[in-house]
Amino acid sequence: MTVLAPTDLDGALAALAERPDATVLAGGTDLMVELNFGHRRAGVFVSLRRVRELREWSRVGDELTIGATVTYTGLERGQIATLVPALAQAARTVGSPQIRNAGTIGGNLATASPAGDTLPVLSALDAVVVCASASAGRREVSVHDFLVGPKRSALAAGELVVAVRVPVLSGPQEFLKVGTRNAMVISIAGVALVTDAARGGLRCALGSVGPTALRAADAESFAATAVEWPSRRATPEAAIEFGRLTAGAARPIDDHRATAHYRRHAVEVCARRAFERVTLR
Amino acid sequence: MSILGTRVLRAAEDPRFLTGGDRYIDNLPLDGAVHAEYVMSPVAHARITGIDTSAARAMPGVLAVITAADIDLAPQTTSNPRVPESMGRPLLATDTVRFVGELVAAVVAETQSQAIDAAEAVVVDYDPLPAVADALVALTESAPRLFPETESNLALFAGFRTSDDDDFFAGCDVVVRERLVNQRMAVTPMEARAGAMWWDDAGRLHAWSCTQGAHGTRDGLAKAFGLEPEQVRVVAPDVGGGFGGKMGTYPEEVLLGELARRVGRPVRWAESRTQCQLGLYHGRAQVHDVELGGTRDGRLIAYRIRIVQDAGAYPSGGVFLPYLTRLMASGVYELERVDAQIEVVVTNTTPVDAYRGAGRPEATAAIERMVERFAVEAGVDPAEVRRKSFISPDAFPYTTKTKATYDSGNYIGALELALSGAGYVQLRDEQARRRAAGDDGRLLGIGVSSYVEITNGDGSGEFGSIELTDDGGAIVRTGTSPHGQGHHTAFAMIASEITGIPFSRIEVRHGDTDDVPRGGGTGGSRSLQAGGTAVYRASEDFVRAALDLAADMLEANPDDVVLDTAAGAFHVQGTPAIARTWTDLAAAHGGLRAERDTERSAGTFPFGTHVAVVEVDTETGSVRVLRHIACDDAGTIINPVLFDGQVHGGVAAGISQALFEHFVYDVDGNPLTTNLADYCVPAASELPSFERIAMETPTPLNPLGAKGIGEAGTIGATPAVQNAVIDALAHLGVRHIDMPCTPERVWQAVQAARR
Repeated sequence: MTVLAPTDLDGALAALAERPDATVLAGGTDLMVELNFGHRRAGVFVSLRRVRELREWSRVGDELTIGATVTYTGLERGQIATLVPALAQAARTVGSPQIRNAGTIGGNLATASPAGDTLPVLSALDAVVVCASASAGRREVSVHDFLVGPKRSALAAGELVVAVRVPVLSGPQEFLKVGTRNAMVISIAGVALVTDAARGGLRCALGSVGPTALRAADAESFAATAVEWPSRRATPEAAIEFGRLTAGAARPIDDHRATAHYRRHAVEVCARRAFERVTLR
Repeated sequence: MSILGTRVLRAAEDPRFLTGGDRYIDNLPLDGAVHAEYVMSPVAHARITGIDTSAARAMPGVLAVITAADIDLAPQTTSNPRVPESMGRPLLATDTVRFVGELVAAVVAETQSQAIDAAEAVVVDYDPLPAVADALVALTESAPRLFPETESNLALFAGFRTSDDDDFFAGCDVVVRERLVNQRMAVTPMEARAGAMWWDDAGRLHAWSCTQGAHGTRDGLAKAFGLEPEQVRVVAPDVGGGFGGKMGTYPEEVLLGELARRVGRPVRWAESRTQCQLGLYHGRAQVHDVELGGTRDGRLIAYRIRIVQDAGAYPSGGVFLPYLTRLMASGVYELERVDAQIEVVVTNTTPVDAYRGAGRPEATAAIERMVERFAVEAGVDPAEVRRKSFISPDAFPYTTKTKATYDSGNYIGALELALSGAGYVQLRDEQARRRAAGDDGRLLGIGVSSYVEITNGDGSGEFGSIELTDDGGAIVRTGTSPHGQGHHTAFAMIASEITGIPFSRIEVRHGDTDDVPRGGGTGGSRSLQAGGTAVYRASEDFVRAALDLAADMLEANPDDVVLDTAAGAFHVQGTPAIARTWTDLAAAHGGLRAERDTERSAGTFPFGTHVAVVEVDTETGSVRVLRHIACDDAGTIINPVLFDGQVHGGVAAGISQALFEHFVYDVDGNPLTTNLADYCVPAASELPSFERIAMETPTPLNPLGAKGIGEAGTIGATPAVQNAVIDALAHLGVRHIDMPCTPERVWQAVQAARR
């Protein structure tokens, strides 16, 4: 087993270019599980731990750029939590404190698990993923194009997630999920809801109920008219309809954790409750 | 002042555990040791048509690869003569594998990584056979048969009747019937299994085992290798939890000895968490068909239970589980008629054995669930049904219809304490208020469970000894074997109480068969009552012997000499100024020692009532435990700190069976919950602060007055929580939800009731 530990981004990209067979190691919360279960063989790893640029975040205007190795702990506390509350809520539901200290937002993106907890939030925010490679340089990909399918992303060989860009919106945000336990559990269904008061709309995305994070387009169109903007007033009936329409966007499957039927229902309840929390009667 | 009953901290063990000074097998220094790894079957049921070990043998560092063809060791069978011998488990699968995780081959290599790599290189050809993972399906005519030699998958049938079928429910206005599933649990100790073994030049086997009983493992290994017990030494170092699952001698352990013999070097083994989930025998796995009848005003009369025990692929020690379920079937109630029937069936799953309570929690879960089911049907408060039907406090000793003789008890007392501690009446008011408000998101559920269980159920005696050290301290030896409970602290307290030697100067030793001659280990909540009693009696003998020696030194008649335990000194009655201390005694008479093997005595019967308060979200089905109130009476409490620890761990496990844990197989026998993301053990965030209510009714059966507390918390908690969830939804028409009460199951029960 070979572990390369570059100390800057260029070094990391060069290492990936030299060793196209290499696997990227960030927090290791997915990778180590795969190694332990023998789903992946030990080979060449490029560890990002020492790459400082990737651990940083910045705000320019109404846009946050969050480095790929910012951890869940980094997301759930401090300024990021104030600026993008749904991301912090999602980060808080991940694993235990030890897992949150290790796992990273870039890793959540690159693994592209259907149950990745930050992914519905990033989808609802129309986040932009910044990728880079030694040969092709930087490129920016919409999160919707980045997440291709279960554990499949648009990352090319030798390419690294460098950062993710999300807007700072005004208005409340919510992330709700259902699982067997409160923590340390793979979610059965998750709903992210963000309001964009400036543009007068709601954006809603779902996790664990489809091959990737899914947007609830019909529910969003409905909310554009059913919610009074900018007061955010809405009727109880609108909340029920919003939940119903959101559930319609789910594409869940049956597995040993839950049935598709229950997952769809859980989405409906979570969406309705999130709607009630971000709107006023 | 007596040290017994005081909150002595676990000074003897915790600093070591907390600062990394512990010694587990995996951090045992062992020069020249090599590593074993086992090849486990990935399929539930298949014929083995070929095993090719040549690639594995050629791997770097590999010293040996063995299959069933290479060994001559007997299969493991149960001690129950009614189970067909053909259902024994070969140590390595011969021509058939019967569960995922069954051992097929073993590899030894210089390093653990090399052993793991080589194990993956063993090529096994499997010809799949139809599998059956469900016990009820396995009982049907058309089910795939695990053992072609036997007529069916039934390993054992036992039943009895106390009355004719026709009038079994005579006098009952209300009879309720239900099928209850007591789901399969993975034991999940913090420390997975591990071992290390080597043979000395004299042909003696030296073994380290993470066992609950070193002597039992010694005997198991001796039997497997055809040796006398003295030719085997077993050491149980620190052991990270067992919960019943580490009581026997596993095939992995016998094979470790075999491998060590072959390579002529110490061989060590430590399994992964997933291997532990598959290889460590599971618990519970019973299905109950239950009927309970009583009068309209809430007095229980007749109870019938058919127990189907899923034994897994090979009936093991777990065959005794349903016997204990039957023994304890009628619980805390005085019933006119009880009927219990046992069917033990094999399936293509991991074998089932003891797990925290081992057959008794299943009994309590069944009857306590049915009592609340009955109460709803009769329209009587469940607490009232219990009051009307309890065995009365003045009826002890009381022999039940299933022939258990309860030593002592006060069931009504525990119920009333628990109910008042919980504020039961106010909780019912709050429940009604929320229901009336239509607050479906936060319905309140109140669940009660009154239990009685049996500890040290086989009544076995135990070894204890005490020896004076040169500096006037003492070494206590016990045949029990702690794996986290706090025996050092408890036994040092008992010895200190009798001898007056300070607690801090008493060392407790256990778990080494060369240092402790005999022992029954730790299981069935026996350690305090059996092991503690032995230490108590040995200490008394020790003091008697010391009195003679002290009399000699004081030039007095032994009858006139007394021990002042507060001062730790002997003097002639009435003249305390002239005294001889334990240190003086040690200087004059080194090596003073006393030992005791206590007699067999009947098991004792701890009891209590738990009340769980939960909040149920009917829309998502999520359950939150708001409060858990436990009144557990296990006789005299020696140390409330240790008692609390046992209750807290037990209640956590009980809540977890009710809400979270379930070892799941698909219909083809593939395990789906082999890691801790899918197998949901509880975390602190799922649990409330536990409210413990003290109650002590001493048992007359031992000098300590103590019963066991290791399993009672689990036994009491599980049905209380399950009952609370169902109680929250009773007004909607929900009558039963099987465990674990997951969000989806709860939601589906609500949906079904509304249809």
